Amino acid sequence: MYRAGLDLGSSYTKGVLVDDGGHIVDHVAVRTGYDFRAASKEVLDRFSEAHEIQYPVLSCGYGREQLDVPFTSHSEIIALAAAVHRVYPERLDIIDIGGQDTKYVRLTETGYVENFRMNRKCAAGTGAFLEEIAFRLGMDPSLFDAMARRSEKDIRLNSYCTVFAVSEIIGLIKNGSPMPDIVRGVYHSIAKRCEELAIPQHTLVFTGGVPDRHPMIVELFSRRWPDIRTPELPQFMAAYGCVLLGEDPGGSQSVAEPELAETTPRCDDCSV
Amino acid sequence: MPRSGSDIAALASVDQLKAVMGAYFTRVKEAAEDPAQRVAWCSSVGPAELLYAMGFEVFFPENHAAMIGASKKAADYIPVTVAHGYSPDICSYLTSDIGAFLTGETPLQRYGFTSLPRPDILVYNTNQCREVKDWFSFYAAHYSVPVIGIHTPLNVEDISEDMITYISRQFRSLIPTLEECAPERFDIDRFRERIALSHDACVLWREVLETARHRPSPLTFFDASIHMGPIVVMRGTTHALEYYRMLKQELDTRVADGVAAVAGERYRLYWEGMPLWFKLSGMAKLFNSLDACVVASTYCNSWIFDDLDPANPFDSSALAYTRLFIVRSDDVKQQVITDHLREYAIDGIIYHDAKTCPRNSNNRYGLQMRIQRQTAVPYLELNGDLNDSRCYSEEQSIIAIETFVNQLAMRK
Repeated sequence: MYRAGLDLGSSYTKGVLVDDGGHIVDHVAVRTGYDFRAASKEVLDRFSEAHEIQYPVLSCGYGREQLDVPFTSHSEIIALAAAVHRVYPERLDIIDIGGQDTKYVRLTETGYVENFRMNRKCAAGTGAFLEEIAFRLGMDPSLFDAMARRSEKDIRLNSYCTVFAVSEIIGLIKNGSPMPDIVRGVYHSIAKRCEELAIPQHTLVFTGGVPDRHPMIVELFSRRWPDIRTPELPQFMAAYGCVLLGEDPGGSQSVAEPELAETTPRCDDCSV
Repeated sequence: MPRSGSDIAALASVDQLKAVMGAYFTRVKEAAEDPAQRVAWCSSVGPAELLYAMGFEVFFPENHAAMIGASKKAADYIPVTVAHGYSPDICSYLTSDIGAFLTGETPLQRYGFTSLPRPDILVYNTNQCREVKDWFSFYAAHYSVPVIGIHTPLNVEDISEDMITYISRQFRSLIPTLEECAPERFDIDRFRERIALSHDACVLWREVLETARHRPSPLTFFDASIHMGPIVVMRGTTHALEYYRMLKQELDTRVADGVAAVAGERYRLYWEGMPLWFKLSGMAKLFNSLDACVVASTYCNSWIFDDLDPANPFDSSALAYTRLFIVRSDDVKQQVITDHLREYAIDGIIYHDAKTCPRNSNNRYGLQMRIQRQTAVPYLELNGDLNDSRCYSEEQSIIAIETFVNQLAMRK
């Protein structure tokens, strides 16, 4: 029997399948679209092809109660904290950049959530910001990271409002700025918004779909705070944390020690 | 995760509250329709006692605006006011109230009003904000009636004698203009009577709120936000006094019987800032489902004017209405909040950052971090607004609140 953890987010529904030893044996992310139930079914159907799932499944995220199978739901922040603490059992700060939210979480060495903040009601600094800009530019956001790496120029966008940022980008295009410079500027803008959440005091762990798909944002941030780590599956940490929490909302962690490797941010521009 | 199907035990006094408020609105309506009577509009922490002493019926636009918020129609009205040149970033009480007026609607229609009660004069105190003056000035221009007020210093650390003298003189200087339209000339003894009534009602209101020190608490912040109606609009009258005697009795009985406002109360929270009027019952249900009782608040505690003294009505009015939390410096606010944390045995604080009410959003200058450093009580910042529901993200807020209560659970 395997435990399934699902993080039903605004952009993607992420699922992990965990064995009795606490190892992630499968993971998948599908577009949430407008139907949380369909997205969660797609994830669970995929897991069921090769494995028997134990019910209830464990869920978190905006759609945490939008499932057609028995579930136990958790706060995504508590789940995220449980997973990050399991991988890095030390005092640390987390920045999670998702489709709709950017979150900052401060953990003690025992995994207690000492403080947390979420972005204000504003798309800037989230995946929605990147997707809107990609849409307006007629580009595929999955090409952004490779494109930004072709630039060495630090263009700064002054606007954090998505609409104003697009207007500013149109001005840059008119002035002949190459697209790699502009995309790098967009990444700078997101890194800057992360700075507003809190002043890091400890090792900083980046999680969420945006650091997963746009790791250069983390690299740009590491210029300001070099003590950064990124887990192997940054987008799946909250889903994994649900499994760690199990059916106990108080946060009991009922599975064995996992083996999640970490990666350090790549950076071609500085010594980190 | 939240308990499902948890019901909130409503206070029996709610029926009497409805009757008291209904009778109040009827008096205001009849005064507005009777050429022999006079109506004064007053800001919520303005000189109500003086106006009642001079025979006015007194109408409070902030109470009206909160009713608009609770009716969930503010977001329909605000754009109308914005189109008339007011920014959506200023007080959403102002923008929703004026917008409703320009639209020709009022939540008072259920009390038989066809429009707002026509004012004979508008009287404000800027102790809470400058917006009350701007707000009242709109109506003064519309109705061609005087608008007068008291200008209170802001960010006050220590209240000096000079300050009291300055503000006390402003109270006195209102009288000649008031007498030009008041039903009665100013009489110091009638003023003393109103001050005494207000003082006694404020003491009772304080005692009502202090019942929440008991564990489990017999009332929540969300109850208190509703039951504060009489202390806002009827302080200085016997109606408020009688109502709070009855409410206090019900709460004392709850305490004696061990009846909890939140069955299974596990977490005791403090609410800093304005209510989200359009989400009051939703918030009450959410916290109830999390076994969390919001037992105390800056907001409801702000209507305790127990410095009022009939022996010295002008100076004590100046003191009472300047000692108010919103007027004070951050150092004083920190002391007030930390005292409340101790007195009410608070596990966590929620700072409501109201987008359009900077004066009632006390997490904008680092106070929340200073209080946490001093007390180690965790806090949550919630982005929202008093009336403008467009400034509030429901899903994000629910996740934040649930996480916060989880955070407190891990701490216990």
